[in-house]
Amino acid sequence: MTDEVLEQKLPKPEALNAMTDQSLHAAFAGESQAAEKYMVFAEQAEEEGFPNIARLFRAISFAETRHARNHLRVMSGINQTADNLLVAYQGETFEIEEMYPAYQAIAKFQQNHQAYRSTTFALKAEQDHQRMYAGAREAALQGDDIADQPVSVCLACGHTVVGDVPDKCPVCAADKKYYRTFA
Amino acid sequence: MAEPFKNTPPKPEKLGAMTEECLKAAFAGESQASQKYLAFAARAEEEGFPNVARLFQAVAFAESTHARNHLSVMGGIGGTVDNLKAAFGGETFEIDEMYPAYDAVAKLQGAKEAQTSIRYAKTAEKDHQAIYQATGAAAQDGKDLTGGAIRVCPICGHTVIGDAPDECPVCGTAGQFFKTF
Repeated sequence: MTDEVLEQKLPKPEALNAMTDQSLHAAFAGESQAAEKYMVFAEQAEEEGFPNIARLFRAISFAETRHARNHLRVMSGINQTADNLLVAYQGETFEIEEMYPAYQAIAKFQQNHQAYRSTTFALKAEQDHQRMYAGAREAALQGDDIADQPVSVCLACGHTVVGDVPDKCPVCAADKKYYRTFA
Repeated sequence: MAEPFKNTPPKPEKLGAMTEECLKAAFAGESQASQKYLAFAARAEEEGFPNVARLFQAVAFAESTHARNHLSVMGGIGGTVDNLKAAFGGETFEIDEMYPAYDAVAKLQGAKEAQTSIRYAKTAEKDHQAIYQATGAAAQDGKDLTGGAIRVCPICGHTVIGDAPDECPVCGTAGQFFKTF
């Protein structure tokens, strides 16, 4: 079975009426959240000494990512890379300019210190992402790939850096050994 | 993992209702961003942009760390027995209510591809529901899961414990393409 044969089996983009579109949006949200939850549950199972339950959570998380991708495809949410980069850039921009500042203000008002930290960590990383996506879109519009450099992510706060990893995370101060590198 | 990192992620706390609502929405947003970026990474790879693909993968992972942090602050990470119960409950809702309702709408509106996408998901959620139920019962007695490798169809998400079938019973994909955990 070639990639093309496999591709034939995937649900395809189609013109959708509003209510079906709404269903798929909600299903995409549900599958995405299940996939994230199960990855976190896998770590917890690992810590508790259940390595096989951890593996189960990881496998089912992967299954949910297949469903999320299928729903996104049918909604025509996966396009050419230059366009995907624009969508990604706009999503980050919304989170930076509106979503997280609003959530931070509420967390501050309600004196929820941990929620404030969690939203601040995210907001700072989204600024890295916004900048990286802007640069990558410029390149992709010219038909160019970006430079061949590792990208590393802080396991605690999501700080994202291209190239060398700092000794300490500038956002949450985690040591450099707690970065995951995409080499 | 050593203490410095363990102490760094945000911790569970008692939340005001509005703050909790924010974190729920932020968890939904981060989860969806992560899945989108993974799909975009696969597309970039196909188009011959391996470094853009890597960027999407790394940023998807960063969004996952944010999703985890928000979930943690909301007290959404329990012990494994409770997590299995929560997972079972989520699958049950999707099987009994969510996907049947969405399927009815897609049928009414003649959306064929949407029906396929919904059928793939709903069928796999039944696998997951059964596995989570059995696993939860064992975990309650302190027992880990048995049965060996877990295999997932990369097209429809069909999930089996043990050997992959020759052909996926849901979508017909050859067993050799199943992803093994």
